[in-house]
Amino acid sequence: MLEAAGNLLAARQRSALALVGILIGAAAVIAMLNVGGIARNETIRQFRAMGTDVMTITVSSRSSNAVGLKRADVEAIPAVIPAVAEITPFVTGGGMVAFGTTSHNATFAGVAPEFDDVVRLTMQSGRFISFHDDYEAYCVLGARLASSLGGRGERPRVNAKIRVGAYIFTVIGIAAPAVQNPMLPLSVDDTMFVSLPNARRVMPGQIMGAAVGRLAPNASAEKADLALQAYLNPKLRDAYLNVQTARQLIAGMASQMHIYTLLLGAVGTLSLVLGGVGVMNIMLVSVAERKQEIGIRLAIGARRRDIRALFLSEAVILAVAGGLLGIVFGLAASWGFAWLSDWEFVLSPEAAPLGAGVSVLVGIFFGFYPAVSASRLDPIEALRAE
Amino acid sequence: MLELEDIVRTFRVADRDATILRGITLRVGKREVVSIMGGSGSGKTTFMNIVGLLDKPTSGRYRIDGQDVLTADADRLSGLRNQLIGFVFQSLFLMPRLNVWRNVALPLFYRRTPLPEAKAQALAMLERVGLAAYADYMPNQVSGGMRQRVAIARALVGRPAVLLADEPTGALDVQAGQDIMDLFMQINRDLGVLIMIITHDPNIAAQCRRQLVLRAGVLVDETHLAAA
Ligand SMILES: Nc1ncnc2c1ncn2[C@@H]1O[C@H](COP(=O)(O)OP(=O)(O)OP(=O)(O)O)[C@@H](O)[C@H]1O
Ligand SMILES: [Mg+2]
Repeated sequence: MLEAAGNLLAARQRSALALVGILIGAAAVIAMLNVGGIARNETIRQFRAMGTDVMTITVSSRSSNAVGLKRADVEAIPAVIPAVAEITPFVTGGGMVAFGTTSHNATFAGVAPEFDDVVRLTMQSGRFISFHDDYEAYCVLGARLASSLGGRGERPRVNAKIRVGAYIFTVIGIAAPAVQNPMLPLSVDDTMFVSLPNARRVMPGQIMGAAVGRLAPNASAEKADLALQAYLNPKLRDAYLNVQTARQLIAGMASQMHIYTLLLGAVGTLSLVLGGVGVMNIMLVSVAERKQEIGIRLAIGARRRDIRALFLSEAVILAVAGGLLGIVFGLAASWGFAWLSDWEFVLSPEAAPLGAGVSVLVGIFFGFYPAVSASRLDPIEALRAE
Repeated sequence: MLELEDIVRTFRVADRDATILRGITLRVGKREVVSIMGGSGSGKTTFMNIVGLLDKPTSGRYRIDGQDVLTADADRLSGLRNQLIGFVFQSLFLMPRLNVWRNVALPLFYRRTPLPEAKAQALAMLERVGLAAYADYMPNQVSGGMRQRVAIARALVGRPAVLLADEPTGALDVQAGQDIMDLFMQINRDLGVLIMIITHDPNIAAQCRRQLVLRAGVLVDETHLAAA
């Protein structure tokens, strides 16, 4: 083994080329596996908080006199469409909020009291908007919004006064930090929540454009979608409805990941094959250059299988060296991917063993022919070679 | 020990047959020291390859210790070479990336001797050829005469019954050549190895108990001439 490694070091330049091929191949395979794992983990993380039965409705207006959802219509949905277990409408908008001497751009959400239950919002302090607060000037702040308002030592707390335009709201609660859910049209952490009647004050003229709900257990996402379209569309004017369910979203993400995986897999396979051909080329040259050595080994008593093992182990060492570097690069690439997309990096447990295994196989597969041809040399021919 | 009968070796080069060995019959007993002389291209190396089981004759019979060796397959021949025969080749073949003692131990490696034991035997053999101090040197760090001794140590480490040396002194000066020759004689005395030396040097040949000359494809025994 040591001998094989020494021989490879001696043919450094040629070895490096084949190494790069295997490296790219193994890196692509590793990255493919690991990025897949990271994406899967991210999906699980996003939906763990809210569950995979979440669904949202958004209304897009076509003109300025569009008519959006009506609270009563939305609240009647579970009775009309059994596939929907619960649903609550909300209005979104945005603007400046001020606290003391500081102000900050915030998302506004006018919500019904069920909102926190439906989106599983938890509170850091205080409480959420309740049935009794419809006409009170109360608000609840998202975690990030709360911490970006006010100076050091005087963050907004429960009972703090928040100014929005001409209105003063009293903070009754601050929400705990929440994982951003791709389904919601707002970021909970950056939002100031008010009651639906108050929404008309801070967001005048804004139509009720969203609702978030949950599917009944075992309900079909597609059927719920169609039923909602049929029920709500006639009630809208100059606007159209868009229903999104977590299951559809997850399926979409999965199929997109599948395409990426196939692409990386193809690139990986191609470069592994190219690297393998490189290994084969190196080994063939090496066999041709070392005929005398093969001859002397045969004369000394090496059997065919000893010669085969010598060259095969060189090929495998070469491939594995490339493979190990490839694993490092592949993991680095998937770490970079996770970092860029702000996702949590997870190490897929099968990535490294698979990368190593694949490169060993490439080494054996492409090293086999040169090794066998070396072992078939006639001792005299080999000894007479230049 | 070695019984060769009517050995013929024909090479086919460019659609023409060239018969290099034309019926050689030779018996060599255990512990003999034999020299083979002959002009360049007369077929000395070809003959040694056949004796050393590296090549098979076109026709003829060859027995070692009464056992027919021409029917053996490639791996069996490797085994026989490993057990019976030590080679010192015309042009020196040491593994450039193995140090001196590992070069010497190589035949034991193919015999699956455990490494510590192989090392001990290699060092003992290096001691015998006077190179104990150079065990950890690389082949390119020692002189040509020393390399030749390394090759001899490698040929002997497996305790073969036969040592075949193809011009072992060809590349050495007279003194170094004589030292190697002395080493051969000493080895023959101590280990009882049959030694066959190919040489162009009459002085070397004269020190062998049996002197053969290869001429026109046949082997002539000229021991009596030297004795006369
Ligand atoms: N494998 C082969 N194929 C074709 N011709 C060969 C082969 N081996 C040897 N010969 C020829 O046989 C002849 C004898 O070669 P050999 O090497 O045995 O000579 P030699 O007596 O050892 O010469 P030298 O003293 O120069 O080493 C040469 O003409 C050589 O070209
Ligand atoms: Mg010769």
